[in-house]
Amino acid sequence: MGELGKLHQLIIPFFGHNITINLEVVLMTWIVISALLLFGFIAGKNREMLPRPIQALGELIVSQLYGLTEDALGKEYAKTYSPLICALFIFLLFSNWLGIIPHLEEPTKDLNTTLGLGIMGFVIAHYAGIKSKGFKAYAKEYFQPIFFMMPLNLIGEIAKIVSISFRLFGNIMGGSIIILVVSHLVYSVALPPFLYAFFGLFVGTIQAFVFTMLTVVYISVQVK
Amino acid sequence: MTVDTQTIVSVAAYAGGGLAMGLGAIGAAIGEGYTAARANLAVSRSPENSGEIFKNMLVGQAVAESASIFALVIAILLLFLDVPQPTLLKAAALFAAGISMGLGAIGSGVGSGYPGGEACFGISRQPAAASQLTTNMLIGSAVCQTPAIFSMVVALILMFLNLGNSAVNPTWAAYLGAGISMGLAAIGSGYGGGLAAGASCAGIARQPKTAANVTTTMLVGQAVSQTPSIFGLLISFILMFKTFPATGSISAAMALLAAGICMGFGGIGPGIGNGMAAEGAVRWVARNVESAGDLMRIMLVGQAVSQSTAIYAMVVSLVLIFVL
Amino acid sequence: MAIEGVDIVKAAAFIGAGISMGLGAIGPGVGEGMVAAKACEAIGKNPKEAGLLTRTMLVGQAVSESTGIYSLVIALLLLFVV
Repeated sequence: MGELGKLHQLIIPFFGHNITINLEVVLMTWIVISALLLFGFIAGKNREMLPRPIQALGELIVSQLYGLTEDALGKEYAKTYSPLICALFIFLLFSNWLGIIPHLEEPTKDLNTTLGLGIMGFVIAHYAGIKSKGFKAYAKEYFQPIFFMMPLNLIGEIAKIVSISFRLFGNIMGGSIIILVVSHLVYSVALPPFLYAFFGLFVGTIQAFVFTMLTVVYISVQVK
Repeated sequence: MTVDTQTIVSVAAYAGGGLAMGLGAIGAAIGEGYTAARANLAVSRSPENSGEIFKNMLVGQAVAESASIFALVIAILLLFLDVPQPTLLKAAALFAAGISMGLGAIGSGVGSGYPGGEACFGISRQPAAASQLTTNMLIGSAVCQTPAIFSMVVALILMFLNLGNSAVNPTWAAYLGAGISMGLAAIGSGYGGGLAAGASCAGIARQPKTAANVTTTMLVGQAVSQTPSIFGLLISFILMFKTFPATGSISAAMALLAAGICMGFGGIGPGIGNGMAAEGAVRWVARNVESAGDLMRIMLVGQAVSQSTAIYAMVVSLVLIFVL
Repeated sequence: MAIEGVDIVKAAAFIGAGISMGLGAIGPGVGEGMVAAKACEAIGKNPKEAGLLTRTMLVGQAVSESTGIYSLVIALLLLFVV
């Protein structure tokens, strides 16, 4: 039970402030990134008309997510944004599944990861909105329905970042705490594999999909 | 009149036990009543299947009862728990354990009545699908119990927590907050999960061929509906395991209690709302199985958006715990 | 233990913030769930319009969420300003 709340941190003093780096999270993120690079490299090497299983898997993921983006954004935007959406989904999927391997932890358990991804989605969505509508039409939306609603509309937009990132963080963190505590209560007999299957694989997949879908939806609300 | 600590601990444990069973009985009673009512309706529609319906009703009620059985276990433990070193903090923890279990059993109890009732009614419509219906009902109402199980875990931890030497003043509020947070947040998720499971039993009775799609949609919808109760669990774990520095001020204690109240109430609405969304999706997957993919996607997006208020509540709770 | 007035005011502000956000979250949660349920019904009846219906649902949910955001604003004001 002592594992709860233990963090390996590197603290660098910087002009009177402390820069804190969560070493474990950085390491886990790099593990996910290198696994994805390896997967992409193997799936993309020696492409053939009759795909090998791993190439077929890659094509399946890409085409499914392309279709998803196309449904929400339309043909013209899908070409621009589907690589981002695809990368986001498989990154989150691998991240959420990483916890089922012993000694490894989900990078999405750290609020910094999810908040970073949430802010990224927010910036991209608003950039897309300004680009497609022009700045004037974009800014005008904040003054709907009456001008003094502006601060509340602004807070509503910022609350979207909070909700998308805390949703992922809360689910993954909650799941891993439940696994830890319940395994401890039953002395790690019988139950842990099922808990990992439910919270790690099932909930992890759903939350990765939800995060990706919401990013697509935020972009589509901005561009249309 | 002087009251020693042992007496206070006993008072808290007995009061907690009473609340655990008293509140815990509400949900299961309503749920089982609903199951029985639908079973009666089903028998009046097709008396020739009354044996099958009766059997299904009893199985459904037995599963729906588990939430109140958890409450009974916690209540009995609270009544006969032997506390070796009575402290005021232990008293707060025992009372909070009772609240967590009592409130936490309400939602799951009411919710798991729906799949039972709809399965009984479904058998009268489609007697051939009886075994499919019973299986689906069992899966649905078992998943419904998850929030009640979370509450039981929190109650057990509160009861058997090794308190060490935490300071009495803010920590009593942290334990109470942990119990309230988990107990209230479990209500919405349990009820919502039940709505989804009920719709799936009704859907299978309407179109037995779509059973696989309907069950999958139900499970995904229920898993997302658990999210508010997972947030409640997260807040209550933080409140239980974080060490708070000793203080004489009342505002530090109230901040922790408010964190629990905020997350607890904040989890109710989104849990029910998520359940409604899942209910709608499951019902229409059964009627229009070709667009199951679209329905699943819009259900997930709709649920995710309707969770945002629970997330705001979690953020306010985290601010209350960590920032202030 | 001497209890000061400032302390009591702060305690009340914290409790108020908790209640504001907690109770304020119930309504939007249920309401947005209803919107999602009806959107599912609409897609079940008319699957071709899935894209349009999704956007309509999101706009409706955003509007019904505004009361939740008011609660959040009041809670944060109580915590940090008052």
